[in-house]
Amino acid sequence: MDQAFAQRRRRDLIVAACLAGLAALVPLFVKDVYYQNIMVLTLMYAALSQSWNILSGYCGQISLGHALYFGLGAYTTALLYTKFGVLPWFGMVAGGLISALVAMVLGYPCFRLRGHYFVIATIVIAEITLLLFQNWDWAGAALGITIPMKRDSWLTFQFARSKLPYFYFALALACIAWFVTWWLEDSKWGYWWRAVKDNPDAAESLGVVVFNSKMGAAAVSAFLVAVGGGFYAQFVSYIDPESVMGFQFSLLMALPAVLGGIGTLWGPALGAVILIPLTELTRSYIGGSGRGVDLIVYGGLIIAISLARPQGLVSLFARKPKADARPVREAVAS
Amino acid sequence: MGPGVRQDDIETGLEHGAKPVTAETIIQSLASGLLMGLLYGLIAVGLALIFGLMDVVNFAHGEFLMIAMYVTFFLFAYFALDPLLAAPLVAAALFIFGAVVYLLIVRFAVRAKANTGMVQIFSTFGLAVLMRGLAQYFFTPDYRSVTHSWLGGKTISVGGIYLPEPQLVGALIAIAAFAGLYFFINRTDFGRALEATREDAGAVALVGIDKNKVFALGWGLGAALVGLAGAVMAIFFYVFPDVGASFATIAYVTVALGGFGSVFGAFAGGIIVGLVEAVTTLILPASLKTVGIYAVYLLVVFIRPRGLFGSI
Amino acid sequence: MSITRRNVLLGATAAAALGPIAARAQASEVKIGVIYPFSGASAQIGVDAQRAFETAAEIINNKYDYDLPLARTEGLPGLGGAKVKLIFADHQADPQKGRAETERLITQENVCAVIGSYQSAVAVTASQTCERYQVPYISADNSSPSLHRRGLKYYFRAAPHDEMFSKAMFDFFDAMKKKGTKIETLALFHEDTIFGTDSGNSQLKLANERGYKVVADIKYRANSPSLSAEVQQLKAANADVLMPSSYTTDGILLVKTMAELGYKPNAIVAQDAGFSEKALYDAVGDKLEGVISRGSFSLDLAAKRPMVGKINDMFKAKSGKDLNDFSSRQFMGLIVMADAINRAKSTDGEKIRDALVATDMPGEQTIMPWKRVKFDESGQNNDADPVLLQYVGGKFVTIFPEQAAVAQAIWPMK
Repeated sequence: MDQAFAQRRRRDLIVAACLAGLAALVPLFVKDVYYQNIMVLTLMYAALSQSWNILSGYCGQISLGHALYFGLGAYTTALLYTKFGVLPWFGMVAGGLISALVAMVLGYPCFRLRGHYFVIATIVIAEITLLLFQNWDWAGAALGITIPMKRDSWLTFQFARSKLPYFYFALALACIAWFVTWWLEDSKWGYWWRAVKDNPDAAESLGVVVFNSKMGAAAVSAFLVAVGGGFYAQFVSYIDPESVMGFQFSLLMALPAVLGGIGTLWGPALGAVILIPLTELTRSYIGGSGRGVDLIVYGGLIIAISLARPQGLVSLFARKPKADARPVREAVAS
Repeated sequence: MGPGVRQDDIETGLEHGAKPVTAETIIQSLASGLLMGLLYGLIAVGLALIFGLMDVVNFAHGEFLMIAMYVTFFLFAYFALDPLLAAPLVAAALFIFGAVVYLLIVRFAVRAKANTGMVQIFSTFGLAVLMRGLAQYFFTPDYRSVTHSWLGGKTISVGGIYLPEPQLVGALIAIAAFAGLYFFINRTDFGRALEATREDAGAVALVGIDKNKVFALGWGLGAALVGLAGAVMAIFFYVFPDVGASFATIAYVTVALGGFGSVFGAFAGGIIVGLVEAVTTLILPASLKTVGIYAVYLLVVFIRPRGLFGSI
Repeated sequence: MSITRRNVLLGATAAAALGPIAARAQASEVKIGVIYPFSGASAQIGVDAQRAFETAAEIINNKYDYDLPLARTEGLPGLGGAKVKLIFADHQADPQKGRAETERLITQENVCAVIGSYQSAVAVTASQTCERYQVPYISADNSSPSLHRRGLKYYFRAAPHDEMFSKAMFDFFDAMKKKGTKIETLALFHEDTIFGTDSGNSQLKLANERGYKVVADIKYRANSPSLSAEVQQLKAANADVLMPSSYTTDGILLVKTMAELGYKPNAIVAQDAGFSEKALYDAVGDKLEGVISRGSFSLDLAAKRPMVGKINDMFKAKSGKDLNDFSSRQFMGLIVMADAINRAKSTDGEKIRDALVATDMPGEQTIMPWKRVKFDESGQNNDADPVLLQYVGGKFVTIFPEQAAVAQAIWPMK
């Protein structure tokens, strides 16, 4: 085992624990619900983007259709609760399992596709599902599903005004997604993925095991995103196909990871911390003009960051370049 | 429960989705689908060209179309120029625009040392958002239309089948553009330079071809083709800042279906997409018509992972 | 309503410095939140809505000799002449953002009421949030009937919903049939959104109840690149009446495609939306001579109530457009809300709510052809009678119901 690598991993874990601890304290000082709302969204996007990063960053399978899993999670949770009275906690797990299963079923034919063929396949599969839900009357079709308002309760995970429960749930989800990524980095799967990304020839020799590990990555990624979807349904207490399965959502999920640093441990969280408050604040404070200034700022910023920092903003913090990965050959051998 | 039947409707006995289909409907739908398909091809071919040249998918392609339609509209509104006459001007304007976008943004995106694929996807996505914002800022979000033109609203009827002139001319322009493009790539020096640059950018530098110049011209040409499509579209479609969104996904699917890197693939892809869309509307509820297009795409790439005529 | 520390400080400083004047200054502004799409595909709606709300605020805040609540006074007399201040927020047609912005308006901007929202999906979450903070919400222009059936206490709608609108259409058909016009078959054409689905459902239900045959029921994808195949099916159905529920974009494409495919229906009776927008008539007005659309507003009222014309002129000066079904409902939304705040003599949510419940505004004191504004226990105004308008010679004339009509319907359309 590489000494420096092990050391870095230990350091990452400590830093993450400290950051999570600090984050948990923030709501004690920031009491304004609007800012708390932004923090919830930031953590949610950090979690989603981290999960997306497992498949698309580490595994190199760029999916622009993850809104599918998000939507499945949201719909499973909301439908189980409103139609059968199943508590959202079970709903989120059920949504996660369904999504993981769907991810594997879809992964089987899709992982044979390369590059943009794969990307477009993920887009159209998500779009097809969106259209089916839009026309599925039992699931509310375009009218969507409203989660009826009841008393505040942890059991039904419903809180009329308080954002704190949602904040801590989102924080926990972000931590879990981060930890799963951290754990995967050092697993056999992590090695194979790095090997495949750095050297396509290695992929040939590893053929079957890599394919299976991709299926695993897709399942894990989809599960976590779907739990996020279930959370979103509870948080907003209303869902409709366009708002949880739209193509824009797939992009929004990928964006923090891309800007923060794709295929890195810290990139998604960093990207979310910068991007989400920025989009929320620009909309709130300059979006009311009706002149699209928020879009101009948002679009310009994406161009600027992706051109100026192609390896992601996380590289600003890197001590030395490429400190991230162990040399591939060694990794494959180990 | 079948599609289109609501739970509460079973009680009330309502049946949704009455859908009259006659022989005439089928023929007319196919004819319309074919014309629309050729237009889809024309919209998509610029995307195919740029991808074939340098492996870049322009996620702002729909917004290029939007700009082209606005240029056509303003030429009409301020200079009373008919969209057909404006078409060459629009193509020229878009040519410059495409080249500038390459020089200002894409050039740097493809130069990125890390994550080139993601950088180019997201820098062009950022460009799309920016262009939509700018269009809203300068042109307002209002819906505009070219109200009268030589072809607008005119239609030819052949044995009860109606062929709208704007789409008919659009289809002819599409065919001509594809033929011209084919000739251009295969028979001219520049076309050969383009092909050579695509195959081996390093080697062409040795023989004195400036890669950036070729790419810039390639982007210009790709954008000019969208310009032609936009000028034709403006005759029968409305214009507003978000108009590109409806066409962008179809354009990506069209190119991928035909196979990335193949100009002929975009042509064939467009026709297939147009026909599949028409046929789906005959079978499924109209709100599901794009499902047909997407399903055909998946079917094709699951069997042929590089599309119908793809080489990359 | 929470008072932030900063306001308290400001108030204290002001009180110390200015003495009695401070008391007046404190009540000088009443903030009302207005939540609309200001970017994205329906941004134009938000831009027009802003002008409509500003027109209403101008009338409330200044003296005008109109027989409209609050017009003849400056500001809200019930609150010592406080002026209405509008705070606009952009929800980008996203329910989550609508919820967040409503929350911001309530907690940061301290608005005492919220008006929205164009998209029904956003109205769901925005009104739910208002309920949680006990701040009244008025749907100015959301027409989905499901909205007032959620048992919310703070939800109000002065304007009609889609079932009322559709009922007016079928009342009109029945009346035309009595006069001997042949109306037996209908073709429904609606988009796949909440608006289109609700509209299609209520029309299909009414058709079954009243014995009309629906020969085509086409639900299409909003903002489609092409409607050829859909129009072809409408043409094959060749119904006596075509009933579209479409927004501006699809409306323009529908009319153009119909002309191109040689389909001229006998009559078009539209569920408003795109069919009351200027942009649509600018684009394809020449093909729409005789189209009928439902609405809740008619400029014909100006003949009976001159203030309608004058208010229209005010709005036109700001927006370059005549008041239409949307902008008039938005205008009235603010008037009704401000009237309630004035009577509540307070910015407290519960008191405003009680005042809204007690609202009884005679129709003559509105710019609408409504009987009156009075909310039932679900917050819906059932006395907002819709009208049917026909587009004749470049403008709309009221043709139904009888008491509001200024002309006979031209049937079939040209």
